[in-house]
Amino acid sequence: MKKRLLAGLMALLIAVPLTSCRRAEAGNSLTLLGKQSDLERDYMTAVFDLYERSTGNKLKLIAIEDSGFESEAAKLFESGDAPDIFLHFNNSDLARFDVENNFYDLSGEVWVSDLTDGARSYCQDAEGRLLGLPFWESSVSGCYYNKTILDSLGLNPAATQADFDMLCAILYESGYTPICWPADGCSWMPQFGLDPVFADDPDLLKRINANEISYSDIPAVHSMMEWIAGAAEKGWFGDDYLKTGWDGISGSLSSGQAVMTFIWDTWFYTDFTPGKYTVDDFALMPVFLGTAKLGTYEGGNLNMMMVNKNSEKLEMALEFLEFCATPENYNAAFDGISTVSCFLGQTTNIQSRMITDAQDSVKLYERVSTASSRVVGYSGEDMLTVLRRLFTGEVDVDGCIELMDKLRIEEAREQGIAGYD
Amino acid sequence: MKKWFGRIFTPVLICAVAVAAAALGVWYYNFISERIFEDSTGHLEEIYIQVNRTFGAFVERNYGLLTNWGQYFARMGDQSVEDAAQYIEPKQGYWGFSEFYFLTDDGRAFTLYGEERDMELDGCWNKVMKERTPIMAGYTLPSGEDATVFVAPAEHGSFNGIGFDAVAMSFTSADLAGSLKVDAFSGKARCFIIHSDGRVLLSTQSGGSVFGNFLQYLKGASDLSEDSLAALRSDWEAGGSGLVLCSIGETERCVLYQPVGFQDFMLVSSVPEDVVSAGFLAVQKTTILVLAGIFLLVGATLITLLVIRSRRVSAKNRMELQSRDMMYGALSESLDDIFLMLDLDTLRTDYISPNVERLLGIRAEDAERNIRFLEKCAVNGDVFIPMAELQAIPLNGSVYRECEYMHQQSGERRWYRMTIYHTGIRDMEKCIFVMSDRTLERQMNRNLQEALAAARSANEAKSNFLSNMSHDIRTPMNAIVGFTMLLEKDATDAEKVHEYTRKIKASSHHLLSLINDVLDMSKIESGKTSLNPDTFSLPDLMGELNIMILPQARAKGQSFTMHLKGAPPEKLIGDRLRLNQILINLLSNAVKYTPEGGAIEFTVAELPGSSPQLSKLRFTVRDNGIGMSREYLDQIFVPFSREISSVTNKIQGTGLGMAITKNLVDLMGGIITVESALGKGSTFTVELSFALPDKAEAAEELRGRVARLLVADDDEDVCLDVMETMRDTGVAVSYVTGGAGAVEESIRAFKAGESYDVILLDWKMPDMNGVEAARSIRESIGGDVPILVLTSYDWSDIEEEARKAGISAFMSKPFFASTFWNVVRPFFAETSPETRDGVAAAQPAILNGRRFLIAEDNDLNAEILTEMLAMEGADSELAVNGREAIEMFERGEPGHFDMILMDVQMPVMNGYEATRAIRAGGHPEAKTIPIVAMTANTFAEDVKAAFDAGMDGHLAKPIDMDAVRELIGKIFEERKAKAREK
Repeated sequence: MKKRLLAGLMALLIAVPLTSCRRAEAGNSLTLLGKQSDLERDYMTAVFDLYERSTGNKLKLIAIEDSGFESEAAKLFESGDAPDIFLHFNNSDLARFDVENNFYDLSGEVWVSDLTDGARSYCQDAEGRLLGLPFWESSVSGCYYNKTILDSLGLNPAATQADFDMLCAILYESGYTPICWPADGCSWMPQFGLDPVFADDPDLLKRINANEISYSDIPAVHSMMEWIAGAAEKGWFGDDYLKTGWDGISGSLSSGQAVMTFIWDTWFYTDFTPGKYTVDDFALMPVFLGTAKLGTYEGGNLNMMMVNKNSEKLEMALEFLEFCATPENYNAAFDGISTVSCFLGQTTNIQSRMITDAQDSVKLYERVSTASSRVVGYSGEDMLTVLRRLFTGEVDVDGCIELMDKLRIEEAREQGIAGYD
Repeated sequence: MKKWFGRIFTPVLICAVAVAAAALGVWYYNFISERIFEDSTGHLEEIYIQVNRTFGAFVERNYGLLTNWGQYFARMGDQSVEDAAQYIEPKQGYWGFSEFYFLTDDGRAFTLYGEERDMELDGCWNKVMKERTPIMAGYTLPSGEDATVFVAPAEHGSFNGIGFDAVAMSFTSADLAGSLKVDAFSGKARCFIIHSDGRVLLSTQSGGSVFGNFLQYLKGASDLSEDSLAALRSDWEAGGSGLVLCSIGETERCVLYQPVGFQDFMLVSSVPEDVVSAGFLAVQKTTILVLAGIFLLVGATLITLLVIRSRRVSAKNRMELQSRDMMYGALSESLDDIFLMLDLDTLRTDYISPNVERLLGIRAEDAERNIRFLEKCAVNGDVFIPMAELQAIPLNGSVYRECEYMHQQSGERRWYRMTIYHTGIRDMEKCIFVMSDRTLERQMNRNLQEALAAARSANEAKSNFLSNMSHDIRTPMNAIVGFTMLLEKDATDAEKVHEYTRKIKASSHHLLSLINDVLDMSKIESGKTSLNPDTFSLPDLMGELNIMILPQARAKGQSFTMHLKGAPPEKLIGDRLRLNQILINLLSNAVKYTPEGGAIEFTVAELPGSSPQLSKLRFTVRDNGIGMSREYLDQIFVPFSREISSVTNKIQGTGLGMAITKNLVDLMGGIITVESALGKGSTFTVELSFALPDKAEAAEELRGRVARLLVADDDEDVCLDVMETMRDTGVAVSYVTGGAGAVEESIRAFKAGESYDVILLDWKMPDMNGVEAARSIRESIGGDVPILVLTSYDWSDIEEEARKAGISAFMSKPFFASTFWNVVRPFFAETSPETRDGVAAAQPAILNGRRFLIAEDNDLNAEILTEMLAMEGADSELAVNGREAIEMFERGEPGHFDMILMDVQMPVMNGYEATRAIRAGGHPEAKTIPIVAMTANTFAEDVKAAFDAGMDGHLAKPIDMDAVRELIGKIFEERKAKAREK
């Protein structure tokens, strides 16, 4: 009896979030499935309202709580209850939704030419199919540096890896910590270096995900780890980098102790606490990690609206996407939102000065975020672990890469990824 | 002063030499460094002049190429992209530039492929177009890479329909760096082409394009002051050249600059100072190392030689020291003197003789390490090293003191005389301690003092003894002499004669006992006393004690009771005479020091721990007499000690009795203790162990002859003791605790046909005494059953009445099986009537009609003995020595002599030899004739010697006729008994 009561309560708990966000049905309607928190973003609700008001159509929002989103959504697809539109990031989790058979290739849509290169690249799969309409706030990750300090030293930002190395050496000679590398808790740094590797050879991603090759088979991975190990050894990360975590970045940069760090622009508006230096003192240049001569930026991770190719309301869904991709609509939705533009005609959003100043460079060297989101088994925690062992001398570069492979494969195996049996 | 100077001279000299050497080294180092730096910077300047020339040639070459190519295109007319590319591309690959440009006079630039580029030429556009001067300027390629563009004015021409007035080509910074890279200085040099305002055009180093403005870099990163920077800028603007030293971070850098020779460009190089001088420094270092090596080699050689010499000297010294130590060690081992040398400044021990371990139990190493170890040995907190004394001793003076020290291992204490010499050895002040063992000397002194005290004490004791003896001997002697005189005077008055004789006799006995005690004590103290163990009868011993003590007690109205606890064996092996002496001493004292009407108890108890081979007995003599003070108890066993009191002063005594008793008990391996309190009596306890003979005869004889025994005593313990004693005899013992009960039980048993074989009655019982009970029993059951009275009292007063009442015999307490059998045996066997009384009483007429052979050399003694025997009705014949005694005996017919009384010490032949000769003779009575020693040799060994010689008894002089009668009567009785048995 108790078990039955418990099962009833559980069903009720699941049913409540599924139904609480649904809108009243009137006229033609579309079902749109996404994470609850994603669907509640201001610009999303704005465009939904705009669509319903403008067309008289209705959107049935199927909102699933963030925890367990992937599995619950997959169940719906497996049970034949797939929505008309599916909101999801283009990351490795998408593989479980049978992309090829479930989603419509949007490459031929009229609004594609209005997408920025970065946004378009992000939304494409390995075969070049456009999986969705990017409709999300975004930022650019790169090397943010203290321009004031560089100016005071008569130095220019680096344009090449050699420049960057020289810059680090000069800063170090001058008594600064060239790079704030928070090794105690921040794992994202190396992913910047690997993005251009996968961008330059798209086949590489397919092969590594199919477990045909490993990190150790990629020369650029060795270059990157050699560079990181060398930089740490030369003191370019400072003395306390092994004890510095997320909370230490702000103080390190605002005090002028460190001059550069690899981060994203919105961080300066959410987590940076001004000190001797404020956000106005910083500027953006590419990240140099020994893998790309001219550096790289990591493009933002974008939520994209995908269309169920098997939907009975396919046309209506495509029309919905077209509605969203119309400049007046997306400008209305993103009015006043701080984000990097996804559309060329995007004018009402707010872009940081740092991005604007470096937009030519960003345009040239922005790479789709791949290493962290699309390589199966990749784990930020594991990366943190292997780097710490590298920095503490427990492993050398080869040992470090070997450990990266081992942990990644174990993770993929745990996730039950095909090819990792 | 001299000592102080001597102490610091060497260290100061060494320091001075070291400082001088260091100063010389520093001067040399600085001198060399300066020279090297000058040479290095000169070298650096030369290198960069060469670089400058190379770069200048590179620029001139580029201008030349551009001029030629400009002329070519101007002359060729309008060139298409393809034509231009066809002409330039091969040259591009050869000369290594990245792009080629056509520049218009309106400020536009087009690539070889017609692409327009934004090119500012650092504001020098007019210089090219108006002044027709070739220039060099910075440029950023579309890829973002930094580049340098070389522009040369050209004749007006046309390219792809566009008129141009200048041509240009660009080199990426990386390409230029490759072209101009200066490999000297380990690649650590940075070389720049800069404008005079500091703006960097290009760098010869890869990555060098991050430098935007070198002057600003120096301002922000170096330690150059504003003035220095301003001067530097002025110099650059003036096209000067020079060298600036500055610090960037932690690195000293040389900044060398010189004009390039066109526009306002300067060639600036920045090289770490240590890198500049690296080559020379290497030479410098090598030179210094070689010199240092030479110095070190020379120094090491000198040091080695010094060390070798020092070691030789040290080894020699060490050997001498070792020899000396060995010699001292060997010497000290045979001495009881400890030698110690102490440094007064450091208070460290320089030397201590190894015998300190033997003499004080401290390891020499410990004492050397810390002199305070010796302090631990000092007894009574004596400070081993009296610092105040040490400091007060004048140089070359000495002091001494004596201290007692304890051996740390054995705890033995020894006295040392410590002589401390204050002496100076070179500049050092030393104290030499000589600790001489004076223990033996002290001991001898003490022994001498003790001996002196003992001698004085002995002398005093002797004086006391003599005084005591004088008094104690003179007192009875005075009586004897006085009454003898009175006897002569009143010889006719029979009553007075009797009275005087009695008093003379008493005084004589006292004098005799005094002499005996003195002699006994003398013999014990001289260690000549020995024991003569033999089998003896405890009942006999107790019987004799009873006989001896009871009359004395009765005389003072005292009660004397004997008790037996447990079942002590009747036969013991021990020195009966010495035991008797001990117990008599204790009992006599009890009688002596117990007032009239007092009570004396004598108890014999067997102690636990006895075995079939050994019996432990405790003899307890308890009285309720005057007791002793606690002070006297401490010296009761000291010879001649007597408690002084109004009571004891009236009692005769030698003060030797207890001392003799204690010594005898000690001799027998026993323990004597005493408990006493004034007015509360005394209890003496003697515990002794005795070996046991193999067999208990009485028990065997009783078995089967006496079946049932009735005991009646109001003291139930007595009844139980009888039962315990008879336990192994086969006699069934029943007891009642009163006279009436005895009567009742006797009648009951008689009627039941279970009549008792013997009835044993206590004399004094509360309800009915033994005599009355016996009378009632006789009246009831007749007169066959033996009825005995067991008593602690002298029954002579009631004997007649008792026998009339039906008492068969008397027995003395305590109850012994053998005594019991001796008493009842006549009732169960054919025996002579005279033995039925159970006690062989001495008969006054025993000597009547006897004939004695007396061997006595002393006429007086012979006469006394002869007269005394005559008074007893006996005849005697006198022999004056042993030989004559033999002859007289040999001549006599069998039965002529009844006994031989033999003196021991006689001329011609002594008594022992004569006895042996008689026993060995052929006379028919040689073996049987009783021979009794009658001698003044009264010690136990004398008695033993007598028996060993074949005598049958021993009588001590002076002659006591009672003793003579008793002994002779006993011997005759035994002879009779043996005759009957045969």
